[in-house]
Amino acid sequence: MPTDHVELALLNDAVVVVDNLSVAFPSRSGSGEVIRSISFSVKAGQRVGLVGESGSGKSLTARAIMQLIPAPGKISAGEIHVGDDLTLATVASAKKWRGTSVAMITQDPLSSLNPLVRIGVQICEMLRHHRNASRADARRRAVELLNAVGIPNPKRTMRQFPSVLSGGMRQRVALAIAISCNPRLLIADEPTTALDVTIQAQVLDLLEKMSQEHNSAVLLISHDLGVVANFCEEILVMYSGKIVESGPTQDILDGPLHPYTRALLTSVPSMTEELPARLSSIAGSPPAGGVDVVGCAFAPRCSLAQAICSEINPELRQLDDPFHDVACHAAGDALWPSVRSQ
Amino acid sequence: MSFTLQPGETLGIAGESGSGKSSVARALVQLTRPTGGTVSLGGAPVTNLKGQRLKRFRRRMQMVYQDPYDSLDPRMSVSDAIGEALSVRGLPKTEHAAQVAQLLERVKLPATIAQRHPNQLSGGQRQRVSIARALAVNPEIIICDEAVAALDVSIRAQVLNLLKDIQHDTGVGYLFISHDLSTLRFMADHVAIMYVGRIVEYGTSEEVFSNPQHPYTRALIAAVPSVTRRGERRLKLSGEPPDPGNPPSGCPFHPRCPEAVETCRTERPELLTIGDAQKVACHVVQWGREKTPKTEVTA
Amino acid sequence: MINLPENELTVAFSASETTVLSQPNFWRRAGRSLLHDPVALCSFAFILLLTVVAVFAPLIAPYDPLRQFSNGLSFVGAPVAPNGHFLLGTDASGRDVLSRLIFGARVSLLVGVVATGLASLIGVVIGTVAGYVGGVTESILMRFTDMVLSFPILLFCVALIAVTGPSTRNVVLVIAFAYWTYLARVVRGQVLSIKEREFVNAARTLGVGHIKIIRKHIIPHLIPTIIVYGTLGVATSILIEASLSFLGIGVPLPQASWGEMISEGQQYFQSAPWLLVAPGVALILTVLAFNLAGDWLTDLLDPAVQEMGS
Repeated sequence: MPTDHVELALLNDAVVVVDNLSVAFPSRSGSGEVIRSISFSVKAGQRVGLVGESGSGKSLTARAIMQLIPAPGKISAGEIHVGDDLTLATVASAKKWRGTSVAMITQDPLSSLNPLVRIGVQICEMLRHHRNASRADARRRAVELLNAVGIPNPKRTMRQFPSVLSGGMRQRVALAIAISCNPRLLIADEPTTALDVTIQAQVLDLLEKMSQEHNSAVLLISHDLGVVANFCEEILVMYSGKIVESGPTQDILDGPLHPYTRALLTSVPSMTEELPARLSSIAGSPPAGGVDVVGCAFAPRCSLAQAICSEINPELRQLDDPFHDVACHAAGDALWPSVRSQ
Repeated sequence: MSFTLQPGETLGIAGESGSGKSSVARALVQLTRPTGGTVSLGGAPVTNLKGQRLKRFRRRMQMVYQDPYDSLDPRMSVSDAIGEALSVRGLPKTEHAAQVAQLLERVKLPATIAQRHPNQLSGGQRQRVSIARALAVNPEIIICDEAVAALDVSIRAQVLNLLKDIQHDTGVGYLFISHDLSTLRFMADHVAIMYVGRIVEYGTSEEVFSNPQHPYTRALIAAVPSVTRRGERRLKLSGEPPDPGNPPSGCPFHPRCPEAVETCRTERPELLTIGDAQKVACHVVQWGREKTPKTEVTA
Repeated sequence: MINLPENELTVAFSASETTVLSQPNFWRRAGRSLLHDPVALCSFAFILLLTVVAVFAPLIAPYDPLRQFSNGLSFVGAPVAPNGHFLLGTDASGRDVLSRLIFGARVSLLVGVVATGLASLIGVVIGTVAGYVGGVTESILMRFTDMVLSFPILLFCVALIAVTGPSTRNVVLVIAFAYWTYLARVVRGQVLSIKEREFVNAARTLGVGHIKIIRKHIIPHLIPTIIVYGTLGVATSILIEASLSFLGIGVPLPQASWGEMISEGQQYFQSAPWLLVAPGVALILTVLAFNLAGDWLTDLLDPAVQEMGS
């Protein structure tokens, strides 16, 4: 069955297919599933956003794709296929595609850059290892890359250590390394969370430009719906290890179907519209990861929860729009007011 | 820099990292001593206090910190943490339990939480305990230093609502420090925008957000990613904030400013009133944008 | 030393908050960890055994350690090898080695524990004051610490004892005076980082007094360090005591101590090896047990791990 998926996805020009992926941190108290059977794919050149709160499993999804799940966690079910040829991602095969056809940048590049090695050496090492470039070629290409990511004085930066750069500059260097091998998929895990807004805007612009120039797909992982809305064509909303809503950005913002998505949209104060005296907020807090949930994980916090919600886990399904999926029993019912009518 | 905070009002301070907004907070509660100037509370100067007078003053101005994982002592239960504040107020131990329960109720936490330790609480719950601890000494002002920055959006909204409710009930004033402009727009009555240790624009929340004057304020507001303003052509800033220890000459913003003129390089603009209460530190705005000669800075 | 495990744990932490939330209380965690670590379990069992033996020495020892048996020497006047009567043989004076070993354990443990306790007290006070107060006070205290630290411990002890004269009390004082420096430096470092943490700032802004902040917010965070260094300190102190006794300036004769026994035994190593082997093995096992227990406690009480439980 998974092969059918892959064949279909190949036709669709996908560069990553996540099929029924579950990730678990087994413990005495339960199965410890922190990602529960999620499926999605990203097409070549597409920009997809994965939104969720801390503990929703969004970063772990990225790590699962990269085959970098910290022990004792493991992929407990499902498959991941990556690259143009959609090879099955395993810890063994990752050596071939990690860093080349799939690259990742993280929230704090300081942890992915070696603090004791000059930046130039780190970029060149990468180029020489993956592309068998000669020493001189690697140097030339490294300067080009740093230039391309908007580093003012590439030759000087090459000689510097990561710690002397500002957060924004470090993220640019990380991006330069990530795109050095023309990845088909670039996973950006909270790339701007540690940055100031004005720098965030610069880095997001750069990320967009780079992905367009190299025709790399981007999977942007963020807690900030605003960032995702401005950057991505499609959005996946995660809650407690499940994708609860997915669809084109426009559709999700204009007509969110899941109560959680709706709450996310209204709990951030607007910058332009009239402000309410109180923000609409979701009562309670997300369930702790790894606890076995019966029914919908959002039900305890949901104002629309019915008896069925705490019994049966809602599957991701389509309503009217064939591209817009939601995992909610109540969505589409008469109960469900449109967000715009508020 | 100088500013005033009226009782029961919220003053928001916005700025990027290195703008000095957290230093302001620390200087106000005198964790660090300001290098100059005075802080007055209720008309009386409170700078350079020592001993008992410093302790008395501290009760009047409290602080809620950014990091919910570090602002509570991991080895103290919730009731001990709040009890410590009650002891400072001089409340006998016998009355602690009742007061703790009352404070927990005020921050909308179940009373059962009193015996827990911070490691058994979520980030949002910890921040509520911090708020309860600050309230325990009946302060006149609470400084919220990025108090909701570490919280998830859904939890953040709860805490912001709670802070508003508390202000409504007790009339406490907030000094709300945040890098998040949308949060400030919701919380603050007045807003001060900081850049490299100075206020560049000050005014009511309404004035600053709907009619920003300083080019930096404009860029900052434009840079906020918002779901309601997608795809707009945005004013973008190039470059990075300067090293606060070595700011540029003249207006510290001039190397990044799209409107900078020659004067900006040499003379530092004063913070001057331009509207009813709105103040801006920008030559171009003070002269009037139309009247300013369009000469590019030769940088 | 602290940073690395913290990073590792952060990963597990962000992955699932429950692993931390459902953490059983400290003693259960300690018990479980001990059961899964046979080496640590043996170390603690040995320390416990040693303590019981030391405390109840008069009841356990087969003979008076000072009694010179007439049948304790062979007819040529040489020590008697282990036999049914003297389980570990006798020494050159015809005294029972096992009994001396058991009473020696008393001296070793007493000196080890009291000296370390005293050293910890001095170290914690000086380290905490230096770290918390800072400024000139810190400079003076830490330079003094460095000065004491730069003396070679054994030589230092020899010199001090030479002045004060050998006695068990002096041995304890001398060891304590040499060992507190290590703890003082570590404690100062920890206090420096703890006092910058937000909860200490929060207490200061509340108006909590300095003494109370130190007592309630700083000292509790030092306890793991004190326990770990204390355990390792006992091992070091026992070694120093043995060295001093070996050199003849430790516990005064004729009281039995392991160092003195080793010193005496080495003269007869060829003819009566048990005289050297018995106290040697006892010393090695004891020091090893305390060191291994200390290692295990380090893992258990590691401040980074502790804080993650928060």
